[in-house]
Amino acid sequence: MLDTLGLYPTWYVPTIGTAWVMGIIGTIHVLASHTSVGASWLFALIETKSVTENKPELMEYIKKYGVFLLVFSYIIGSITGPGIWYAITVASPRGVGGLIHNFVWVWAAEWVYFTVEVIGVYALVYLIGKIDPRTHLKLTWVFALASWATMLLIVGILSFMMWPGNKSWYDTGSTLDAFFNLNFFAHLGLRTAFMFAIAGAVGGILAATMKDKNVRIEITRFLSKMGLAGVFLGMIMWMWYVQTLPSNAKIIMQTQLPGYIAPTLFAVLGATLVYFSWTAWKPMQLKQGFAIAMTAIIAIAGLWPEERSRESIRKPYVAGQYIYSNQTIARDVPGKQIKSNLPLIAEKGILATHPFVPESLRHVTAANRLQAGEFITKVMCANCHSMGATGLRPMIQKLHGSTDVAQIKAYLSGALYNGLVPYMPRIPLPDKEQELVAEYLASLSQKSSHLQTIALATKGE
Amino acid sequence: MELDSHSIATTLQVLRDPAGIPSHPIVFQVLMIATWVFHILFVNIALGTAGLSLYAFAKRQTPHWERLSIGMTKAAKVSVSMLIVLGVAPLLFTQVIYDPQWYSSNILSGAWAIGFIFTLILGYSSWFTFYFKNHQGASGTVVWWGIIGLAFFLLDGFIMHALSYQALLPDQWMSWYAPNGKVDMSGTHIHAWQAGRFLFFIAMSVTVLGAFLKAYVNYYRVREDYEADYLTFVNRLGTKIILVGVVAQIVTFTWWLADLPASFHAFSSPLALAIFAILILLCGVSLRQQKVPHVTSYQALAVTVVMAAVIATFRELLRMQYMLPYGYDIETYKVMEDIPSTALFFLTFIGVGGLVGGFFLTAIYKAGRTQGVYEASPTVNKLANSAIGIMIVWVGIFFMVGIFTWVSNTL
Repeated sequence: MLDTLGLYPTWYVPTIGTAWVMGIIGTIHVLASHTSVGASWLFALIETKSVTENKPELMEYIKKYGVFLLVFSYIIGSITGPGIWYAITVASPRGVGGLIHNFVWVWAAEWVYFTVEVIGVYALVYLIGKIDPRTHLKLTWVFALASWATMLLIVGILSFMMWPGNKSWYDTGSTLDAFFNLNFFAHLGLRTAFMFAIAGAVGGILAATMKDKNVRIEITRFLSKMGLAGVFLGMIMWMWYVQTLPSNAKIIMQTQLPGYIAPTLFAVLGATLVYFSWTAWKPMQLKQGFAIAMTAIIAIAGLWPEERSRESIRKPYVAGQYIYSNQTIARDVPGKQIKSNLPLIAEKGILATHPFVPESLRHVTAANRLQAGEFITKVMCANCHSMGATGLRPMIQKLHGSTDVAQIKAYLSGALYNGLVPYMPRIPLPDKEQELVAEYLASLSQKSSHLQTIALATKGE
Repeated sequence: MELDSHSIATTLQVLRDPAGIPSHPIVFQVLMIATWVFHILFVNIALGTAGLSLYAFAKRQTPHWERLSIGMTKAAKVSVSMLIVLGVAPLLFTQVIYDPQWYSSNILSGAWAIGFIFTLILGYSSWFTFYFKNHQGASGTVVWWGIIGLAFFLLDGFIMHALSYQALLPDQWMSWYAPNGKVDMSGTHIHAWQAGRFLFFIAMSVTVLGAFLKAYVNYYRVREDYEADYLTFVNRLGTKIILVGVVAQIVTFTWWLADLPASFHAFSSPLALAIFAILILLCGVSLRQQKVPHVTSYQALAVTVVMAAVIATFRELLRMQYMLPYGYDIETYKVMEDIPSTALFFLTFIGVGGLVGGFFLTAIYKAGRTQGVYEASPTVNKLANSAIGIMIVWVGIFFMVGIFTWVSNTL
């Protein structure tokens, strides 16, 4: 048993990789869930205004937005929530397992909130006009606080994925030390700010349809102010957030992220500021299409690159800087009696220790060398790299199309073996497995250049 | 290619998470069973009400059927929300004590696990469309939204069934992962299912639907806008549906038991016999109630809750039997006790679940039974204030503990 690693089978997704599967579902969820939490606060604030200033006409807007939320957030958001678990399960089972086993009670507490939140949204929407206004207002405030509590609870887990930020958790194994990590409060502030901004943008889609002109103006201005407050708070929190990141994350941010990400995010930030300022100034000019476009821009050009970057800068880890994306445990955690997998990998390699290696690959022969190399490479690398010519960080591109086995092996036995590249995991494969991986990686480039030759020849004809 | 029991036992042990679990495994097992009961009941109500709304839609020329179709469409819509949220807890606790089984099964059918998410979104969106369009005098074509929605729900039910069943068969995982020694990492196959087991839960949806209808009648009987004629019609229908469901459950349960390994001695299991007994009891009660269609109560629904609890326990017992040859015993899971987070859950569950959940449910229940505007009674008002109070206290404690921990560890 000591000679077997806790590695699961691998689910390989060509081109986009499992990381993107996770990223896509995660981004959809973030959009839907943050809109929902932000909207719950919007409802509480507007309803307070409605009750204290005796403006029952404002409740029509809450009803409209509430029904929209039921469809948008409580179909898409509540399905993609567990969907993220499914995605991490199949992409990085060790990662999700680590998180579940560290934070099961936190997640269970979040589930309590999630349950009352779902009951609450139905109560909030369908009891408008069917229950006295003061009781309904209390219901809405409880709903807002419960919704935000789901965010409070999940952010600690997400920020632990980045890193604990100090050595306490490694020594104590305490959930509190893991949860209230260095990154936590800045991350919470950032997400709280974003929830106001996105709820303001999505809220415009409904505000633009209000028939009563005064209500429309009042709501739109309210949304604009909330959105602007969210954007400004977000900028401050972002600056703090960056200060709480580990060094590997900062290096990746500076050197490895695609060049378009920073300018795109700044452009979206600028566009959002202009949008909210404009709608505050000229609320009647807010049209539904305009609000939909703004929401789409924030989601596609803002949220997607941001979420993708957050996933990327965590590399090579998937959780707590102790589990690599490729499922291996990268360090000892005395507080949890966890031992690193790396010494065993260095001593015996993957083929001898992975429980899901078919018998035919346990013994490498001339006939199965390539398959053995493919198996090890996919297990160790496919979570972050595409084996094709295109897609997510393609191996062929990363190795500059090299077909030189010795050259690739030199990289495997040097920088990779010793963990010298900050954003790459340490993969201390024994010599014979380095050879197999190098041969397989070289074959990818050979195949690719062969295909290119054929394509050129066909063109020439 | 299959693995021997010893290798499988080793594999299952090493796949357990090295972080261990923060409380005794039995705590998670009990919570897993208890929360699954409510999940499966809402699955049953969702499938049952969705099926009935489509059937009633086809007979919508009769006003009672039309009204029932609209009501059931709405019930299915809410039930799907509830089944999703209530499914999160058993999914969580399964991952805690049966992580090797659940993760392996999911990865081996990775495309289906991810497909489940997207098809559920499509199905639920389709059902919402049906809900928005299914009103008095709706055109016949809108039913397609409902049919598509229900078809996706059934597909998703089947995917979940298969993933759960595959998790019980670790001796076959290797032959699925590397058929004939060739590794297949595509995750595009569903590898195993058990028709009797799957159909049993579909049949259970029929029984639970009948019980739900009878509860629906009992709930609305105090409302003047729900005429006695209509309620008697629904009550009578509920009784008939229970009878059909019970027969279907007896047949499919027998099929399920017959499919189990002989070593389980399933037919003589006390829990299996209890399930048969409950079904027969439900049958007897329903036959008696057929004679008094105007008498309403929540009794049948209460019996289905008991039935679901026994089935949940039986299901867990089966899993333990499936794991026996590999020596997989949850009680040997490494425990790394963590008192603060354990307290966080139980206090949240009791305080927030009790007061906030209690306030929301009471408000819905009371308002739903009131024609016009419901004025909160002093008790409900007190409950509302307590809900706000508990939320403020909870958030306050959260930040106090958080700031203290953060400052202690950072400075």
